[in-house]
Amino acid sequence: MNDPASKQGPAWAWSDPSMANGMNRRSFLRATVAAASGLAAVAALAPLRELKNFTSVDEFLQKHYTELTPEQMAKVLKRIEDEVEKQYGLRPHVRDYKPMNGVEFVYCLNLTRCIGCRKCVHACVAENNQSRTPEIQYIRVLKMPNGTFDVEKAEHNYAPESVPEPGFYYMPVQCHQCKNPPCVKVCPVKATWKDDDGIVVIDYDWCIGCRYCEAACPYWARRFNFTAPSIPKERLNPEMSYLGNRPRKVGVMEKCHFCIQRTRAGRYPACVEVCPAGARKFGNILDPDSEVSHILKDKRVFVLKEEVGTLPRFFYYFEI
Amino acid sequence: MRAVQSYLTFLSRSVRLAFVGDWRYYLWVGALGVVCLLGLNAYAKQFVHGLVVTGMSDQVSWGVYIANFTFLVGVAAAAVMLVIPVYVYKNEELEELVIFGELLAVAAILMCLAFVTVDLGRPDRFWHLMPGIGKFNFPGSMLSWDVVVLNGYLLLNVYICAYMLYSRYQGRHPSKWFYIPFVFIGIVWAVSIHTVTAFLYVGLGGRPFWNSAIVAPRFLASAFTAGPALIILALQVVRRVTSDSSPGAMSLERTATDLGLGRVAGLEDLDTLAVHLPALRDVSKEIRHECLAGAQVFDVPTGAVVTREGDTQTNSFFILSGRVLMRRQEGETYRVVRILTPGGLFGEIAALTGAPRTATAITDGPVQLLRLPAESLRRLMRDRKMHSLVKSSMARRVVISDRALLTLRSIVQVSMIINVFLLFNEVFKEFYTESLHGASAKYLYFGLHGYHALNPWIWTAIVCNLTAMVMLILPVSRSLKVLDIACVLAIVGIWIEKGMGLVIPGFIPTPLGEMVEYTPTLNEMLICFGIWAFGLLCYTVLLRMAVPILQGQISKANEPGSGLQDSDAQLRALVESQSSHKADVETAYH
Repeated sequence: MNDPASKQGPAWAWSDPSMANGMNRRSFLRATVAAASGLAAVAALAPLRELKNFTSVDEFLQKHYTELTPEQMAKVLKRIEDEVEKQYGLRPHVRDYKPMNGVEFVYCLNLTRCIGCRKCVHACVAENNQSRTPEIQYIRVLKMPNGTFDVEKAEHNYAPESVPEPGFYYMPVQCHQCKNPPCVKVCPVKATWKDDDGIVVIDYDWCIGCRYCEAACPYWARRFNFTAPSIPKERLNPEMSYLGNRPRKVGVMEKCHFCIQRTRAGRYPACVEVCPAGARKFGNILDPDSEVSHILKDKRVFVLKEEVGTLPRFFYYFEI
Repeated sequence: MRAVQSYLTFLSRSVRLAFVGDWRYYLWVGALGVVCLLGLNAYAKQFVHGLVVTGMSDQVSWGVYIANFTFLVGVAAAAVMLVIPVYVYKNEELEELVIFGELLAVAAILMCLAFVTVDLGRPDRFWHLMPGIGKFNFPGSMLSWDVVVLNGYLLLNVYICAYMLYSRYQGRHPSKWFYIPFVFIGIVWAVSIHTVTAFLYVGLGGRPFWNSAIVAPRFLASAFTAGPALIILALQVVRRVTSDSSPGAMSLERTATDLGLGRVAGLEDLDTLAVHLPALRDVSKEIRHECLAGAQVFDVPTGAVVTREGDTQTNSFFILSGRVLMRRQEGETYRVVRILTPGGLFGEIAALTGAPRTATAITDGPVQLLRLPAESLRRLMRDRKMHSLVKSSMARRVVISDRALLTLRSIVQVSMIINVFLLFNEVFKEFYTESLHGASAKYLYFGLHGYHALNPWIWTAIVCNLTAMVMLILPVSRSLKVLDIACVLAIVGIWIEKGMGLVIPGFIPTPLGEMVEYTPTLNEMLICFGIWAFGLLCYTVLLRMAVPILQGQISKANEPGSGLQDSDAQLRALVESQSSHKADVETAYH
């Protein structure tokens, strides 16, 4: 077998050619390389020093929404209130609204009436504490030329002097709260699910940010927090809900939730309330006398992309 | 207890092997390490600021991370393209090379996991994905399937590699029960990882570009093209860096093998052999008699060719005295792969498998040989010790022959033809029907509403794929140089086709018809380079550990004694020892 001791050190080991010194030199070299690699790794991770408000031990260990006991939920809500107060200097009121018995929400949008003013978009942003920079909006209003339903012909960034413009109609799109939601099906961690009142909700503290739901949604209704959202303090809406409009964190999904903090407390969504044309109708489909029940019975109603089988709760209709 | 200790010794020696190498090795590992750190730095920035530092948006919500992920799942799956020929069709040439494919699969899966992790908005919540601890949406979500199959595939391959290497380390033949079932599970599993990854896309009804039944077959075809192509290149690199003598040292004009006239062998010749081969002493008289049927002894002068690579003969030879050099052709050059001394055996692969000679045997000085016909060798192998001796002699060689590479070539060739055919099917369906669902394809190939970013990519891919296909079909690619170019073209073409060509256009236009294009940012690309460097580093280190063990340079037989650690210098000396034949004689034959 080869004897390593018989191997000669390189010629430049002139000071002492003995094996012991060679080994010392080698271990010195090794220590230097190890130290340099360690330092380089630390230097590579240096940007992490800027990390703040990323997560807390409580948030990291927090269980899934459906597994929280009422006491644990109370603690979580308090933690969120503390965090918001710390960040915005304003004590919010965070509640966990549950679906009401005997209620299933349905949304109807009258395309004859919509004038494309985007007041709904702004009301939604204000109500739901959406990030102003970068801008996140749940409602996208499409300006469609008369005579087609092809969304590829739509204009997204229209900005005329005044609306409506002749020759066009306007089609606002937001989360359709599907009865058969592809986003829920694809979520690998059940961070999004369909509640009993038909609203598809997201647990912002459970979402891992893989954006599979965003790819799955046929209505482009989901939004991702590519960076930490920023909302001016004075614009913060302090009436918040856990599954609704509390400020989100970086790296999680969000979307329209029919203003849970309002609708589960018996109010209309912000977009319905603000619409100056009366194009937006909202109500309980289990109540046969509700406005939406009448619309679905009497009007010429359709849903977007019926062929994908998502069974939306969001209906469009024409009056004339 | 002893078994555990023995396994730990094996592990610690393997790990320390990772730090042994020449300056080229350190330079390569160092360079990869630097790129890894650059990637880590870029990822630290992304971790702090969020995915806003990438080119992704709500419109194009997946980018190069997922594109690379998809490509690499294919590379990992393609390891079976080595396994199937060996275990289903009993291809002997590739048998030794399976482990290189499986180690590549391990490295590829590690890269996949890294790419998925960097794509997560909340990597701190990874535990939500753990079955049992988190909240796993199984079997509903295809992504949860992917978590299961990818991690399962990783474990499967790590287990198979570790078991094969440990058996080799101990000088045992791997026990079939501990390993063949897993190999066959692995074959099915490999298909599953790429099918599941395709279903990630196929399952989305709102994305007509992906919602096509042909995606999974296309994925498999392209994976079985790019994967073996990558393996062809990797094997040549392994062959080059593990070469233990300078190429071109020998060149011999082609002459017929010349053994001269032999004489009938007798029992006294077996006694001579038994001096060098103690196992032979215990062989029963009966077997000794039987195996002498047809056996002959030859006195061969120096420089004679005893067997010739590629010939189909089925005699095997034991060396009674003198030295024999085993030489193989690699591309344009020759390399001495083994030096055999008295007691040494060669020609047994051809004898037992009927395969063509794997190397040319040339005498180095006067040599006396005992020639056994295949049938006689089999009779000799009825003795248990002789059986394991011959078997371990066969297994003890890492032979990356040109023939093995050419077998892989035919796999790449067929897969590439199928891949291009399936691509053509897709293109026909998208364009002939002229439905609105063809918008993404139109954008990809010709541009849409004035947006053209992906056109140069996809046409580059198509040119690469078609050129590679033509090269692979033509006989010119039997030359390794041409084959290498074809492989590189195929890999580039398929990387684009699956990445920029499949993931990105699925998002453009958006389901609401909006046109937003995607270009990766520098930070995003640095992260990708970092992960690729990390994967190459893993593969390099795994090979660094595996090759000396496969070649028998590091084995249980040369452990420094119970409870002792051999110094790094000793390990280095073992790895650098010229002759694996030494280890052959000393470990297998005693």
